[in-house]
Amino acid sequence: MTRGYRVFQWFNGLILTGVVVVTLYPFVNILARSFSSQSAISAGEVNLIPKGFNLTTYKIVASDPMFWTNYRNTVVYTVVATFIAIVLTTSYAYVLSKKHLKGRKVLIGVAVFTMFFSGGLIPNYVLITSLGMKNSIWAIVLPNAISVFNLLVMKAFFESLPQDLEEAAAIDGLNTYGILWKIVLPLSKAVIATMILFYAVSFWNSWFAAFLYMNDSGLFPVTVYLRNLIAGATGADSYGAAAAEVTQAAANIQAVTIVLTVLPILAVYPFVQRYFVSGVMLGAVKG
Amino acid sequence: MREISRRQAIIGLGAFASLALTACGSDGEAPAKGAAEPAGKAGSMSGFAVGQQFKATEPLSFDVLYNNHPFYPNKGDWLLWQEMTKRTNVTLKPTEVPLSDYEKKRALIIGAGDAPLIIPKTYHPQEEAFVASGAILPVSDYFNLMPNFQDKVSKWQLQPELNSIMQSDGRIYLLPGIHEGVWADYSFAVRTDILEKLKLEVPKTLDDFYNMLKAMKAEYPDLYPMTDRWGVPTPGGNLIKLIAQAFGSKGGWEYQHATFDSAQGKFVYTGAMPQYKQTIEYLNKLVKEKLLDPESFTQQDDAAKQKFISGKSFVISSNAQTLINDYRAALTENNPDAKIVKIPVPTGPIGEYKIATRLENGIMISKKAAENPNFVAMMQFIDWLWYSDEGQQFVKWGVEGTTFTKDSAGKYKLADDVDYVGLNPGAPKHLQKDFGFGNGVFAYGGATALLQSTFSDEEMEFQNVMNARKPWPVEPGAPLTEEEREQAAMWETPLKDHVTQNTLKFILGERDLGEWDAYVKELESKNSTQYVNLVNTAYDRFKKEHGN
Repeated sequence: MTRGYRVFQWFNGLILTGVVVVTLYPFVNILARSFSSQSAISAGEVNLIPKGFNLTTYKIVASDPMFWTNYRNTVVYTVVATFIAIVLTTSYAYVLSKKHLKGRKVLIGVAVFTMFFSGGLIPNYVLITSLGMKNSIWAIVLPNAISVFNLLVMKAFFESLPQDLEEAAAIDGLNTYGILWKIVLPLSKAVIATMILFYAVSFWNSWFAAFLYMNDSGLFPVTVYLRNLIAGATGADSYGAAAAEVTQAAANIQAVTIVLTVLPILAVYPFVQRYFVSGVMLGAVKG
Repeated sequence: MREISRRQAIIGLGAFASLALTACGSDGEAPAKGAAEPAGKAGSMSGFAVGQQFKATEPLSFDVLYNNHPFYPNKGDWLLWQEMTKRTNVTLKPTEVPLSDYEKKRALIIGAGDAPLIIPKTYHPQEEAFVASGAILPVSDYFNLMPNFQDKVSKWQLQPELNSIMQSDGRIYLLPGIHEGVWADYSFAVRTDILEKLKLEVPKTLDDFYNMLKAMKAEYPDLYPMTDRWGVPTPGGNLIKLIAQAFGSKGGWEYQHATFDSAQGKFVYTGAMPQYKQTIEYLNKLVKEKLLDPESFTQQDDAAKQKFISGKSFVISSNAQTLINDYRAALTENNPDAKIVKIPVPTGPIGEYKIATRLENGIMISKKAAENPNFVAMMQFIDWLWYSDEGQQFVKWGVEGTTFTKDSAGKYKLADDVDYVGLNPGAPKHLQKDFGFGNGVFAYGGATALLQSTFSDEEMEFQNVMNARKPWPVEPGAPLTEEEREQAAMWETPLKDHVTQNTLKFILGERDLGEWDAYVKELESKNSTQYVNLVNTAYDRFKKEHGN
């Protein structure tokens, strides 16, 4: 190990520690706020350690039935949407990875086209409404079922699997579906785990589709609840006189809601992470 | 049967065609102003009048866009909904929209033709975006269906205010909330314990205000005596607004490009008015002498609140709610000796005026409503709920005997087990959260007595001082036509940017006030003169057509 390399490692460690601090600080700060008293927060005294430690805020938030209704909705929407998305994306990507497929270019073109052009907000809304999907789970889980980016990553991955493997399986008597189910998918755990993570996080965080297509707060996911709590209170200030009517949700209630909303994703992440790096990189070399 | 079917079909077709034709014919005729004859009278009351309880003759239901407040999210079993149906025979079906993105969703569903019939919580001029497409009804054509509204407009002399929201076709597209009197709420919170320590009076004029800050600075040279909130996204939203008003101009939240100059009898460009310059000079003086924190115009509210609560500043913008919710509790917890009060708005050269509009946010009616068989009943229902004394009391206070009582002098009292705006702290139930009353979708505006019925003694002191002042005259209407508005919108954005930037530069001392004339020239190069000419043309035209 040369001296130069050691110095480099030192600096590298230092800079990365800095990045870690910058990334973690907001999390820790929100966590500290969630355990602090309202007056300590408004006086700007809470940084990394809770001041005026209490659990009452957690009790207040947990006692709101709407919070749990919306929370349950988020879980249901995320699970169903991720399942549908994985099935559709895998099937589409597998088909596209077959070079001998006729019309393959058109199929790719159809998908890629949507990356650049969309119908726009109002036509989408009219479409969903006329399909009768408003106020139902399908308005959330179907329109975003295939993310083209994920589709292309998966396609690249499938293309990287050796063709001989599938030919051998075919000679041993498997049909197309058998090959996909028994040979290809078991070899694709890494990329599928990655896709599940990608989809699950994006569905967990999404609020816009629900906000557009749901007219009943009992159908909202928790993200809309959270957004109304935070953006609703601050956004109303810009109205001036109109804000008189608005009572801002206390900063500690906001913090508790954020913590509770982020928690499941944080908890899932470490388990999927071991697939994560290999999964994203797999398709990278052969594009 | 089968044999006749062809002939029947032909007859049927003919009948259908003639029906369609007549339908087209009546559709094409624009209803004469103020004399519209809507078709749908089912369920309505004949001879509905002021002082009468509206009750539909058959059970009806209407869709309403509902602004869902995070503090009191909608509950289907609220007494509000039950009692409303009991009294009026009308059930409202809310389309719930989170308050955070209400405008976005409203624009979307109106654009998609999927809007509920009743669209409340719309602030003028937001309705103008929907006028051209014909998506909303010109409500002024149907004022004759609304006796309570008409009664209050004439009793409280609100015609000038109504003219100010009229469109160029002489119609009004927004059913505005109306106040009996001008209501001033926003002012400044001041630490009175500091005033006592320095032997100062509560400031009355802008000069007093300046002297107070100066005395504070002399005692605490390391601090900025004032650091302000409400700077994002409009810099100096409240601060510049109040100072500009005291000089007879407009700024901050209330900035508008054209201001009516009654001496000249025409509109002038606000950002170039000498009164606007005086406003800037005053604020520049505060910043230059380090009395006002320069960050006031850009910092987030939380930063300003923290400085005030931790005792690093003594003056901050406030309204009745923030005084209690944001400042007092936290401040006294940190410093038990601290006392604060919302001071009457400091007066300036124009003298003792209170300046605010008597119009509130209002209701748009979807175009689809006109074809609804229950249209008349719906308008009567809206009139009763939002504009009758009885309806306004109901949506604000609830049901007498259950949520409140009223003594012979007309003084309201909440039931003992119900809390609302801190009137019954510690009570187990909440008027808004558990009953749905005091709800921002329904309860606003109205008689001064009703408005003040929830005010604390402290707030009443403020109101009494403010109400002794004269109301500032309402500006005459100058509605632009569709093309004019497009033209104006193209000029407005660059003008607004330039005014905002330079207002800040002048105040913060980044640009010397000696360059004022150059600044006015810059505005002219951005079409400020053409803009004002356009408004004045509209004003003359409107004056001629409607003679006000």
